[in-house]
Amino acid sequence: MKINKRAKREAKQLFQLCLVNGLLDENRARQVAQQVASAGTRSTPAVLAHFLRLLSLDLAQHTAAIESATPLSEGLRTAIQAGLARRYGPGLTTTFTHTPALIGGVRIQVGSDVYDSSVRAGLAALEKRF
Amino acid sequence: MNAFLFLAAQDSPGQVEQIARTFGVDWTHLGAQIISFAIVCAVLYKFAYRNVLAMLEERRNQIAQGIANAEKIKAELDRTEAQRQEVMAQAYAQSSKFIEESRAAAARLLEAETQKAVAAAEQIMVKAREAASQDHERMLTELKREVGRMAVQAAMAVSGKILTAEDQRRLAEETAKEIAA
Repeated sequence: MKINKRAKREAKQLFQLCLVNGLLDENRARQVAQQVASAGTRSTPAVLAHFLRLLSLDLAQHTAAIESATPLSEGLRTAIQAGLARRYGPGLTTTFTHTPALIGGVRIQVGSDVYDSSVRAGLAALEKRF
Repeated sequence: MNAFLFLAAQDSPGQVEQIARTFGVDWTHLGAQIISFAIVCAVLYKFAYRNVLAMLEERRNQIAQGIANAEKIKAELDRTEAQRQEVMAQAYAQSSKFIEESRAAAARLLEAETQKAVAAAEQIMVKAREAASQDHERMLTELKREVGRMAVQAAMAVSGKILTAEDQRRLAEETAKEIAA
């Protein structure tokens, strides 16, 4: 589907309507999507597609995937969440995953940002240097 | 003979007549013979001797012209021979010059081709050295990569067992500090 500039601009304006204090209001987003879908104009599919893309990007930017080789203690989880909140602001959704393949350390991904201090990443970097 | 008869007449006039009688000289006949002889001479002169002389003159002229022509031809031949010798000398000199130039050109060509061959050989040697060096470097790189990969695999295999719970906690804390910083 080809999304023209006008559809992008309208989708962005709709997305701005869904923000409350800089954070996405899911209920409002859902309502906006329903209203746009019910409008049934010719540009509706393109506007909705770009609107969903913006929502996906926002969701990814406000989601932190935290992987660790061993289960983290509650104190460490809280410390990491606080650090991420300070760096990326409030409204960040965090998910903790136990990944033994990391061997040691923690790997954090927020949107396109990746903080990898795992042993596996270190060994991979070392292998790359060879 | 008239002078002899005159002298004889001076010495002795009678003796001339005696001598004439002794030799049988008949003056009439002698005169007639002289006249007829003169007529014969005149006729011969007019009709034969002049033609013969003319023919002889013509032959002499022809011979002289032939000799002159022969001399002219000989001179022409000499001149032609000289020209031939000169042309031959020039041709010889020119051919010698051509031969020398050809030899020089061949020498230059040989030298140029030799230099080209030497340059090509040098280039081939340089390329071969470069290829060998690149192969060597590539093999060393592959060897290092393989050794590194094996080392990393070995480290992965043992590090999970080596790291203690305390090490794991410390690593996680370092990450948390890094994020908080």
